[in-house]
Amino acid sequence: MGPAPIITIHVPGPLRPYCGGAGQISLAAHTVRAALRDLEQNQFALYRNVCDETGALRRHLNVYVNSDNVRDLEGIDTALMAGDVVTFLPAVSGGC
Amino acid sequence: MADRIILTIGTRKGVFVAEAAKGRRSFALRGPFGPGVPVYSTLIDTRGTPRLYASSCNPFFGMKVLCSKDMGKSFKETKSAPAFPKDDGRALANIWSLEAGAAKKELWCGVEPASLFRSHDGGDSWDMVPGISNHEHARKWHPGAGGMCMHTIVRDGDRVHLGISTGGHYLSEDGGETFQASNKGVGAGFAPDPYPEFGQCVHKIARHDEAPGRLYMQNHGGWANWTGPGGPRPDIGVLRSDDYGHSWRSIAKGLPSDFGFPIVVHPHDADTVYVVPLEPTTRSCPGSAPAVWRSENGGASWNRLAKGFPRKESFFTVLRDAMDIDRLKTPALYFGTTTGQLWIGREGGEHWDCLFDSLPPIHNVKVAVV
Repeated sequence: MGPAPIITIHVPGPLRPYCGGAGQISLAAHTVRAALRDLEQNQFALYRNVCDETGALRRHLNVYVNSDNVRDLEGIDTALMAGDVVTFLPAVSGGC
Repeated sequence: MADRIILTIGTRKGVFVAEAAKGRRSFALRGPFGPGVPVYSTLIDTRGTPRLYASSCNPFFGMKVLCSKDMGKSFKETKSAPAFPKDDGRALANIWSLEAGAAKKELWCGVEPASLFRSHDGGDSWDMVPGISNHEHARKWHPGAGGMCMHTIVRDGDRVHLGISTGGHYLSEDGGETFQASNKGVGAGFAPDPYPEFGQCVHKIARHDEAPGRLYMQNHGGWANWTGPGGPRPDIGVLRSDDYGHSWRSIAKGLPSDFGFPIVVHPHDADTVYVVPLEPTTRSCPGSAPAVWRSENGGASWNRLAKGFPRKESFFTVLRDAMDIDRLKTPALYFGTTTGQLWIGREGGEHWDCLFDSLPPIHNVKVAVV
């Protein structure tokens, strides 16, 4: 396996206070899982909003790689390529 | 500064703060803080400079604890929220209870799945309390309709009473190091054994400083007509203990229903206790006519307090933490409803007025005189 590709994490507005206000974070990761591990080590407050104590993605949060939900790919084992954008988005809800 | 009445109102859409002069004629409302996020628990910590706390239970991004140091004009997240150890296997689903501890800045926090956490720095860091969180019964408790929650923490020196739904009443007599199920006389309607060792659906527990050993409990009643295994269980819903929670007896006789959620004790009279009886199926007041019921003799008899309420066609529920009483000489009660109304019961509940009628559904109401 070669060097990990550089990808971009897009941080939605409500989560920016947990990473110093950054809207984007660049990091090197082969997979979404590796990207989450990087966040756990380097951006723990942001990570805790995305994953619970067991390491599972929060139930009502969707993770996209570019325009695809990882649920429709390989989950958090989805491979990443240089230039990919990973986005965390709250699931659609409403009516109350 | 003259005495002020401060109310914290935890709702489905954030926490509100209402403030009034001690005449309580009108209340000014602030908020919502943590807008759009459910708040199940609040605490007005009056030790030293008052601090207001609220659990902000974000279904998307997880649990937070909010703190206000300016009487509810602004709130900030504490540096961390309770969290299970990484290898525990459980994940925090909700924060149901915040209580002041003995030491300055010490806080206790009951969560879902039912566990207890403790902070020594005003909520900036938290440690799980293993004596109950890893109790041998903990993995055998089951969730009630509201989840498997530790919703009640009542402290009395080294005694700590916990209410767990559905786990029952647990008692520590060593400051929270160890806990024992203490449910003698506490019935369960949803199990073949009417009086199991643990697993009851306790709804709320209250005590009074001047009545050592006495506790009141609102338990999950409504099983008087059960005809299945174990037979009917009348009057298991409203209980009293006179031995520090080691045993309990019914005081439900005279109430129109033994089902309900909150139970509140008068601040100056340990014999005066309030409940809101609900029909167990609709979880609204019997006959759709709201009423608070008061006993002035420790539960031996009850009186209906309904002056000022609608006489019919009201179907709200008052949840377990949604009623409180202030500590003025002639205290007022306050309760919030699932339909977003906040009521005040002046003169100990003799007369009721609606302070706010269109808030979001209300989970929690706390009051303090500051």
